[in-house]
Amino acid sequence: MLTKEHALFTFNRFETRPDCLTRIQHAHYRELASGLLRIYRNGNGFTRRELHRRADAVFADVPDCPPQRIRSFIKLLDDTSEFETDRKGQAAELRQKVFAWAASRHPLVRQPDRLFECGEKQAKDDIARRIGKSWHEIESSMYGDFPEFHRLRIFHGYPDADALLSRYNVAQAQALLFWAEQMIITARSDFKMLFRYAKLSGLLHEITMIGSGAYRIRLTGPVSVLKQTRRYGIHFAKFLPALLACRNWQMQAGLDFNGRRSFFRIGSASGLRSYYKPGEEFDSALEKKFANQFGVERNGWKLEREAEILVKGQKVFVPDFVFRHVDGTTVCFEIVGFWTPEYLAAKWKTLALFVNHPILVSVSKHLALGKEHAVPPAALIHGDVLQVKPVLERLEHFRH
Amino acid sequence: MIAEKERPLDHELTYDRGSLIVHATREHCPSPHFIWDARTGNWRAPAWRYPEVVRAMAETHGYRFKDCVLMETHFQWPSTQLHVLREDQRQALERWRAGDCRGLVVMPTGTGKTEVALTAMAECQTTTLIVSPIRDLMYQWQRRIQKALALDPGILGDGQREIRPVTVTTYDSAFIYMDQIGNRFGLVVFDEAHHLAGQNLRQAAELCAAPRRLGLTATLERPDGRHTVLLELVGPVVYRQEVSEARGRTLADYEIIRIPVRLTSREQQHYDAAAAIVRHFIAERRKENPRYTWQDACSDTARDPWARRALRAFRFKTLIEDRAEEKLRVLEDLFRLHAHDLMLVFAGSNAMALDISRRFLLPVLLHASRKEERHQLLEGFAAGKFRVLVANQVLDEGIDIPEVKAAVVVGGLASTRQAKQRLGRILRKTGDARAVLYEIACEETREKERSKQRRQNDAYSGTRRMRETTLRYRARN
Repeated sequence: MLTKEHALFTFNRFETRPDCLTRIQHAHYRELASGLLRIYRNGNGFTRRELHRRADAVFADVPDCPPQRIRSFIKLLDDTSEFETDRKGQAAELRQKVFAWAASRHPLVRQPDRLFECGEKQAKDDIARRIGKSWHEIESSMYGDFPEFHRLRIFHGYPDADALLSRYNVAQAQALLFWAEQMIITARSDFKMLFRYAKLSGLLHEITMIGSGAYRIRLTGPVSVLKQTRRYGIHFAKFLPALLACRNWQMQAGLDFNGRRSFFRIGSASGLRSYYKPGEEFDSALEKKFANQFGVERNGWKLEREAEILVKGQKVFVPDFVFRHVDGTTVCFEIVGFWTPEYLAAKWKTLALFVNHPILVSVSKHLALGKEHAVPPAALIHGDVLQVKPVLERLEHFRH
Repeated sequence: MIAEKERPLDHELTYDRGSLIVHATREHCPSPHFIWDARTGNWRAPAWRYPEVVRAMAETHGYRFKDCVLMETHFQWPSTQLHVLREDQRQALERWRAGDCRGLVVMPTGTGKTEVALTAMAECQTTTLIVSPIRDLMYQWQRRIQKALALDPGILGDGQREIRPVTVTTYDSAFIYMDQIGNRFGLVVFDEAHHLAGQNLRQAAELCAAPRRLGLTATLERPDGRHTVLLELVGPVVYRQEVSEARGRTLADYEIIRIPVRLTSREQQHYDAAAAIVRHFIAERRKENPRYTWQDACSDTARDPWARRALRAFRFKTLIEDRAEEKLRVLEDLFRLHAHDLMLVFAGSNAMALDISRRFLLPVLLHASRKEERHQLLEGFAAGKFRVLVANQVLDEGIDIPEVKAAVVVGGLASTRQAKQRLGRILRKTGDARAVLYEIACEETREKERSKQRRQNDAYSGTRRMRETTLRYRARN
């Protein structure tokens, strides 16, 4: 990830945009990115400083290239590199030896005289002889553990120039979020993934339904209510790749540049590609089979996947499916595949929070062996295949 | 009365990730400091207002509640071995205690602020967190606590996360972790407290519920005026002592000697060439826009390779000044002159620090230096094993080596804060020894300007100028 110092954006009171390299306007960057990757791929054994200088030179005559952009590329390349950091401390040990030896002869003067008999050259020759290496060798390895002298060992890198450019665009969007105080997402699908990652990022949510299957989710941090703060900027930045892996959403982040406010807007159609795996359409083959078998509509019931969010404070429950009847009845449907009695008990506790919502649960019978008592009587039980008929029968009980 | 006592308490006041919360209904606002949080369905207040909040809830509103904010904070020190405080230190401590154990003590570097804090800690008998600007200082606090209070403090920072009743940390780590540990301490000490004024770092104080707060600094005032937030977050200035007041009394007497050097003819050539690139670029731009400034040039680097080259030339100029060969020659003379003294050398860049280290084979401390090595170097230096230690900005603040009475500044910022702090490194009083700070700066370059700006500081008034030839004569005879 980049830091604040790498961030590059065009500020505007109404909308601030992170730097974004496009295929058309920045076509020449593909060649530059290939050049950068070549430098690092052939860079084994070179010091960080040498690599940075070479990378810098790639951009020397590029007309449109801010220094932050160059530094960002270098950071992204470094981030996926492993450097020889001299873990054993050989350089430090060598230094200690040299310094200790020189300490008794301090100061090493240029021209020895009666007062100070130890000249610089003579001292260095002496040390070289004692250690058994040339002074040049000693000097070049003496500071080898300082970051700028670390040598490249492995470059994991990016598959190709496009991957690096795409990562750059995401990284700049993340960096802009360091100035964010809050994030408002309009979401229409992939709710499970959204909330899982929002929770992992330590953010609090406020959820409002703004239409059938559409929600407005405001994300902030615990102390945000007391004071607008950029404290959670890094949390938003870490959350972004997860958001980018979702479908059908819009996001608006409120930014604060030391009192100057602005917004950052982006959506699932913006072209930024996540490096996370996209959310799977279905959690399991069983769900997929069931959905296919059910079709779009049966007996007046329509089936939708992850289409509803049940909220109670900071507890969120996203059922696997929602059935909507033409008469307006809505029933949530949750499928429990793998389970333990504890898991099931916890699930029921969560569901108890939403007693006002009709929820149908189907539990796998394979895991019930000898533990049938743990399955609440209200639940359906399914085998390898989830049959449509028993589900439809149960659904009818919910109709008024 | 008895009936009153038996009635169950209405609500609990607890700590939640950097804030205080009360689980009450929306109709029952506990005190004006609280804001209703619809997200979590409770009342929330800033953690740093904890003592005020409790007072307001208890007295003004007669709100009955159970205070569950702090974890156990009583702490009995195993034993203490403190120095007896000087009169001024005692006075600082007493005024802090008189002000409800909240406030700032402003004293020059080297006058023993750490002693004041250690005694405060011993007297308060409460769990304590100490926040310092850099890792080195964090470890220095660790050593001081081990010695004075016979106890191993926990360390939060530099890759360690060990929280103990007494813990030392850095501002960066405190910023990151305070919302997880903000209710564990009864006392928080902010060393070099002026760092708290930064937009982010102030959260180290905001998210903390510790009712007792002690801020230590030599340089409270900031040119941007932001230091006023400290008065709110830590408390008022309870004690203040100026450098001029302390000079020769609680601090060693000192002199500052400036030694101007010139660039070699080769350096001058490069310098002039780089300067010409910069000048030419600006002149060309001014043809189109007479008000074109260097600032504009910096922002033009985005679209304009020429501007980028000009900026690079400018940086190259600074580097030439910073690494001027002549400085190494002057250093040799200073080392000759102080061959038997401990000496600190402050460089303006890593490159120069390494140049000096390579030339004289002297130990060097940079930001990247590892913990064990720093430790060894500082110990070795204090013990006289090495007579000179070279550093960039690492040693600017707070490292205390009482025996050091001489320092050389070979490059650095124009800021008077840095100048004051660097000077402070050699002012700890040991007997009547006089301290001396040398400043080697290039004539006829921008470095001279920076040196001039530094001298506008009251601590720097009376700076003497010494010619390089005079120094050479004195060093060699």
